[in-house]
Amino acid sequence: MINHILRSAIYFVVFVLIQVLILNNIHFMRIATPFLYLYIILKLPVGESRSEQLFLAFLAGLLVDVFSNTPGMHAFACTLAGFWREGLIQMYMGKDLPEGIYPSYRTFGYGGFFRFVLTFVVLHHTALFLIESLTLFDPLFLAVRIFSSVLLTTLLICTVEALNLIDVQKIGE
Amino acid sequence: MRRGSVRKLLEFLVGKRHWFLFMVLLAFSLTLIYRNNAYQRNVLFSSANVVAGRLSAVSGEVISYMHLREINKELLERNGQLESQVLDLQDQLDAFMADTVLFKGFAADSTERFPYSFVVAQVVNNSVVHLSNYITVNKGRKDGITPDMGVVSERGVVGIVSTVSDHFSVIIPLLNPKLRLSCKVLGSSYFGSLSWNGHNTRYATLEELPRHVEFQRGDTIVTSGYSAVFPAGLIVGIVEDYEKQHDDNFYALQVRLATDFQALNHVRIIKNFLQQEQLEVEKEAKKND
Repeated sequence: MINHILRSAIYFVVFVLIQVLILNNIHFMRIATPFLYLYIILKLPVGESRSEQLFLAFLAGLLVDVFSNTPGMHAFACTLAGFWREGLIQMYMGKDLPEGIYPSYRTFGYGGFFRFVLTFVVLHHTALFLIESLTLFDPLFLAVRIFSSVLLTTLLICTVEALNLIDVQKIGE
Repeated sequence: MRRGSVRKLLEFLVGKRHWFLFMVLLAFSLTLIYRNNAYQRNVLFSSANVVAGRLSAVSGEVISYMHLREINKELLERNGQLESQVLDLQDQLDAFMADTVLFKGFAADSTERFPYSFVVAQVVNNSVVHLSNYITVNKGRKDGITPDMGVVSERGVVGIVSTVSDHFSVIIPLLNPKLRLSCKVLGSSYFGSLSWNGHNTRYATLEELPRHVEFQRGDTIVTSGYSAVFPAGLIVGIVEDYEKQHDDNFYALQVRLATDFQALNHVRIIKNFLQQEQLEVEKEAKKND
């Protein structure tokens, strides 16, 4: 349990900082921004209570909001995506996963993890960019932004997952 | 029987409690989105709060070192421009002095004060990627900043102060569709409204400019001075292209912005100590309508 909490705390600090200090300033080709902080929500242990998942997802979004002056937008998108997280896992992996494991290439398989990440990111980005476009609606530009950011975020999350040291140590245990 | 069904209902509700949490959190974030409009933003949930401000200040400090070379070059250029302007004016002054009989009784009018002064602030957080962009700077209420003050860079207009905490303030830059700035073509007195289209950080659109206004590509767009926020005549950008608007009576101008928002380091916040008075008298006038 303490292991879980410590792990989540480390993820929160590290990835929120990376997001607000570095990635928020990236705008590839002036359209795409990667939102790596979703990794925090993706890596919550399987089988954790839904309320807890929801709350942590909301908290992650709110933290990013505070730093990037987008009050409520990320919190909204994260809550929405966080709500479907458990359902997505069950949809792709079935219900008989052992409780307390973390989603990763090892536990989900390469294909399973990738599909899980992609669907989650699509949900989140669609909500986020739709909310953002309330101030200025431009369907084509919106679609391009969603598509390119999904691509960038998924790519980055999959790379980070491949290099994640905390998980590598787990395998050695 | 009844007690049993109440219990079942309770069990059902407890079992679905994540649904309620979901609704509550969604409602909370929606309230944040809608309550935090441009002019009544909550300081706690913006980067003007102490923690976010300090953190951004540290990272801004580090990043500002990387831009020193550019800033230096910009300052030198500006210095050169001003110097040549001084020489030019000195020259004109000399010419006039030579031509006129000197009037010894002349004294500058000390009752009329230029109603604007500047506070220089450092940019600690800056976004250009989003649709609604914001800039955080390291001067706040303690430095006399209040919402609705105008902000300029050494090149041109930046935006308007929206939220202020003790040591930080958040600026709505021109790169935010919420900001509409009253501008005119330098030399004419007809004004239009400048706004950003959300695509390119170098361009904005000046709309509702009457068709009979004469201008050409390369003309300078300046603030109109009708808003009490900016003095008249601050450079906003240069006309790059233009087209007729849908109803044919107005032009829409594509304006290349003078300020480079991606490389913004220091800004000047304009204090207008007559702003309050002007707003009050305008409000009074509207009330009497």
